[in-house]
Amino acid sequence: MSEEEKKEENVRVGIFVCHCGSNIGGLIDCHKLAEESKELPFVAHAEDNLYTCSETGLAAIKKAIEEHNLNRVVVASCTPRTHEPLFRECISEAGLNPYLFNFVNIRDQCTWVHMKHAQEAYDKAKDLIKMGAAKAVKLEPLEMIMVNITPAAMVIGGGVAGMSAALSLSRQGFKTYLVEKEDKLGGRLNSLYKLFPYDIDASEFIGNIISNVQNAKNLEILTSSQVINIEGFVGNFEVEVEHNGTINTFEIGAIIVAVGSSILDPTGLFGYDGNKRITQFELESKLKNNKINQKDIIMIQCVGSRIEERPYCSSVCCMTALKNALNIKDQNPEAHITILFRDLYTPGTEYEEYYRKAREQGVLFVKYDPEKMPVIEETQVKVFNEYINTEMTIPYDLLVLSTPLVANDDNKELAQMLKVPLEANKFFLEAHVKLRPNDFATDGVYIGGSAKWPVDITESISQGYAAASRASTILSHDTIEVEGATSCLPEYNKSLCTGCEVCVKVCPFNAIIKNEDDEIEIIEALCKGCGVCAATCTNQALVIRHFTDDQIMSEIFAYGGE
Amino acid sequence: MSFEPKLLGFLCNWCSYAGADLAGVSRIQYPPNMRVIRVMCSGRVDPKFLIQALELGIDGVYVMGCHIGDCHYLEGNYEALRKFDMTKKLLSFVGLDNRIRLDWVSASEGVRFGEVVSKFVEDIRALGPSPLSRDNPDQELLKKVKAINMAAGTKRLRALVGRQRKITEEENVYGEKVPEEEFNELLDTALKEEYDRQRILLALARDSKSVKDLAVELSLEPSLVLEHMLTLKGRSQVDFQEIIGNTPLFMRI
Amino acid sequence: MDIPSKSALIIGGGIAGIQAALDLADMGIQVNMVEKKPCIGGRMAQLDKTFPTNDCSICILAPKLSECYRHHNITLYSYSEVQKVEGSAGNFSAEILKRARFIKEDACINCGLCAEKCPMRVDDEFDRELRKRRAVYMYYLQGVPSVMTIDKEKCLWFTKNACRICEKTCERDAIDFDQQDETIKINNIGSIIVATGYNLIEDINKEVLKNYGYGKFRNVLTALEFERLESASGPQGGHIKRFSDNETPKKIAFLQCIGSRSDRVEKYCSSICCMYTTKEAMIAYEHDNELENYVFYIDMRAGGKGFQSFLKRGENEYNIKYIKSKIAQITIDEKENPIIVYENLDTGEVKQIQVDLVVLATCIVPPQGIDKLAEVLGIELNDYHFIKTPPFISVETSKNGIFTCGCVHEPMDIPRSVAEASGAAARAAEVIRGG
Repeated sequence: MSEEEKKEENVRVGIFVCHCGSNIGGLIDCHKLAEESKELPFVAHAEDNLYTCSETGLAAIKKAIEEHNLNRVVVASCTPRTHEPLFRECISEAGLNPYLFNFVNIRDQCTWVHMKHAQEAYDKAKDLIKMGAAKAVKLEPLEMIMVNITPAAMVIGGGVAGMSAALSLSRQGFKTYLVEKEDKLGGRLNSLYKLFPYDIDASEFIGNIISNVQNAKNLEILTSSQVINIEGFVGNFEVEVEHNGTINTFEIGAIIVAVGSSILDPTGLFGYDGNKRITQFELESKLKNNKINQKDIIMIQCVGSRIEERPYCSSVCCMTALKNALNIKDQNPEAHITILFRDLYTPGTEYEEYYRKAREQGVLFVKYDPEKMPVIEETQVKVFNEYINTEMTIPYDLLVLSTPLVANDDNKELAQMLKVPLEANKFFLEAHVKLRPNDFATDGVYIGGSAKWPVDITESISQGYAAASRASTILSHDTIEVEGATSCLPEYNKSLCTGCEVCVKVCPFNAIIKNEDDEIEIIEALCKGCGVCAATCTNQALVIRHFTDDQIMSEIFAYGGE
Repeated sequence: MSFEPKLLGFLCNWCSYAGADLAGVSRIQYPPNMRVIRVMCSGRVDPKFLIQALELGIDGVYVMGCHIGDCHYLEGNYEALRKFDMTKKLLSFVGLDNRIRLDWVSASEGVRFGEVVSKFVEDIRALGPSPLSRDNPDQELLKKVKAINMAAGTKRLRALVGRQRKITEEENVYGEKVPEEEFNELLDTALKEEYDRQRILLALARDSKSVKDLAVELSLEPSLVLEHMLTLKGRSQVDFQEIIGNTPLFMRI
Repeated sequence: MDIPSKSALIIGGGIAGIQAALDLADMGIQVNMVEKKPCIGGRMAQLDKTFPTNDCSICILAPKLSECYRHHNITLYSYSEVQKVEGSAGNFSAEILKRARFIKEDACINCGLCAEKCPMRVDDEFDRELRKRRAVYMYYLQGVPSVMTIDKEKCLWFTKNACRICEKTCERDAIDFDQQDETIKINNIGSIIVATGYNLIEDINKEVLKNYGYGKFRNVLTALEFERLESASGPQGGHIKRFSDNETPKKIAFLQCIGSRSDRVEKYCSSICCMYTTKEAMIAYEHDNELENYVFYIDMRAGGKGFQSFLKRGENEYNIKYIKSKIAQITIDEKENPIIVYENLDTGEVKQIQVDLVVLATCIVPPQGIDKLAEVLGIELNDYHFIKTPPFISVETSKNGIFTCGCVHEPMDIPRSVAEASGAAARAAEVIRGG
């Protein structure tokens, strides 16, 4: 907006300087500040208040808006981080758009930190008010953006995490589609024997969950089905699912990724032959069907994990080895079982107890050094034991390799469809490792279970529920409100856009796309208002609302002087 | 009386601004020289903001954001870093690069906020007033800084910096990754070229000039000026006006 | 979706409780949150950084705190405790004791003038008693709600009928010595989530640490104390100094499994110590690049996302040496430098090392007051007095309609606590919506 337009709009700024008791007023003359700011351009009113945030102060703002016909309000007091919502609400009650408010921090970042420099603090406060008023003049009313939400969820993956997510969503009353690639639900658990640390049959456990899923209201199961295309954004996805050659399209509000993980192909590792030298998974199916009669059994941990090529710990293998060792002991108490390990991973209460139990049952634990890998011979393993400083030779008639869970090969395709990232090992990468463990940076898409990282059944289930909860925060509403201070490509700037798409690339939230008309379009529902796109835009066409170039430049000029 | 620097700071809302507030709550005392502009993310800070501030005679500009990895918007501070580096390189052409600074200050670093601001004040005080300060700005330098300001607005530089992370950190469609050094060479060349071109445009603001005149005025090799002229002509920013004798005169469009 | 008439009750305002509250509130469900301490934030607020990304803890937590405080679907009862719970899933009622903080919450602006004038010096609980606060105090600087509290046990007015300087100092008339504890009854609670976190072994039993010189030697600290020292807003402003001579330590030993994985104390593994120790060592190294870090451990437990590479970075870039070992003895020399005698479990050798500082990774224990709370709620505890959860469903308790998340049922890290919090919220929402 030009000066001329401002005059036309009749911009009238009101300035309120807060004493905050003696916190501000004790050091600098707030009355004088207010009086002097009356001289600033477009300022129609200025006053000082003992506490602008008090009921009296808020009433004074409302009264001044009415009496002086103010259409911009500046409060100079503490910090916007705590008090901006209060003042926005106040001017909103007086009939002004809440975005026509600007905050000036003259306490936390002025009087409190320059207590021995009253004059300099005064000058700084004066500058800050001048800058704040200059920005206020340029402020524009903004509306919250409303996005309609389709109250339906799709869960991709019918393992234990996906089923838990789907069950919770359906019980909360949302139409839920559960998509599974295979012809039956259950995922990895279908191939397991017992489940640690409870000695529960995997088939029985998963059977119960599957029957709950089958009997759930609102829950539609799509087996032998695969997601082939995803369009849209939070609340408004269109998902194409292929089933036996037919393609169906679903309108979906939120998507949960629970595609699980895969098993490492052990070929070439430690003499694997699938017969005498097998993986823990193969041992499970043997245990499921037959007794293990072998006497001397050696298990090797971290086979293909915690190595340079695959640096992570798969976190379930130690417990799996302990479980299978105890199961063998159960069938055959005479069996000698040795576990060659690096660090035994049994965190928490029950897992540590389980480890103790295995030791009590006579399972032998021998640590090996990755620098001196165990050597596998036809009937014996040679392993250097540093503790006794000798090479041990341990005979075996069954060698079991604890291989890690690895990311699915087709994660990349799904990630591209969803526009979400993968991490270095090709597992899905969540929005924030600590505080948003089941979100993606892209709104409306969530993650749970070992698709994100190898986890045990307990964590898979709680993460399935967690993803359901996150999806529910969206699905529970007919519409969601999105912050109005978003990026935009205004009509008057459209001709500036060169279509270079750099903005598309820098946006961390996938909020900028090139639409069907080959124009840059901001999906405001996804924009978080960081403004990186505006700072990057190669032809300065994009505008970040509430922090526009024009607004920031006006602050710079107000301070630097024309 | 000793010189009191006039400083400006851009603080991201989530970490640095919160850190500055914490300094307040903890009553950490630091010199009152810096005025703060709050932005949501340090990645919002357009190079032009910094250059404009210096052009106005402000003695120093500070940009502060979340520590790498802590960005509220995931990666905004990486972008801030790239943009800042470019700005610094541009300003190094006129020796003003030591008047801008970038730092990461977290919401718990109230003490550190006070420390880094104090240090900045001290360092700028040691440098002395900006040669562009309001009382008596160096007009020659001012022209150069204006050229830098314009250069920072060119599509070429903005596109390069905007794509920098993609180019250097991710593979392109051919599975190639451009090494950081190689990219920097590319960027350095581009920066110098665009700076010179903007200087040429500024020099042509009032009257038309020949390549030779421009070369003398801007202390550049005539061949280089000619090359730039052709590029600028290609961009429809300059054109021949007339030919006097054998010498063509260029004008700005 | 219709707005449910039932609300949720969340007990505990740490990161788990906060996440559960925000999820439910964002689903349009009314939430009552009860926090025992004067401010929400819990343990995470005490941390300097968080592994494995080393994000600044308060930076990522603070927005959640204010979101929780401002959310129109969340009613926060800080400085409060749940006293009584009746009813069953879908229809609980609860009585909450809201303790008088002797401050008018709507008047106090946390300017701190009262604390400046308060004559009493009291050990600061938030800073693990490594510094003093006043009897009128802010629980921690960035705390929410952002209001002061008067410590009745220590205030001169309550103990000696004298002073009341704070009252005269306050410009907002926010001090109210007549404030009384209130009992608030909440009906129509559909579901309850218990997220009261954990304590550390030293909170209930300092004896265990004596074997490691804690309490005897000034240069032996606990990990949480060390964390506070590393914090930029902590007692040493982030510049670690030994308490014996104010010198910067050049060699630090971190001892793992103090009280955990032990036959004599607690059998279980505390799950998070290997990782936070690595983090603390890294931060210490960042302050001083000449620092030597030694971690004495039994098994490295680093199964989470990015944890293994975090350890590698610790080893390669932060001068951390990991020694698989068993500690035999700790003594000090004439300069109060701790001397550690240990058996190297890799080589079998018995060795001795002199360091400048020892940091103990102490065992996580169930939160104080859990027995009483379990009784109030009618839920079962396990042998260790953590909340008992059924096989594989870690967010359920023994009672329908009451869910749990975070360290109150098992030691765990922040990502898992947050995931469980959301998980518990989903289950609570099912009950509230009648599913």
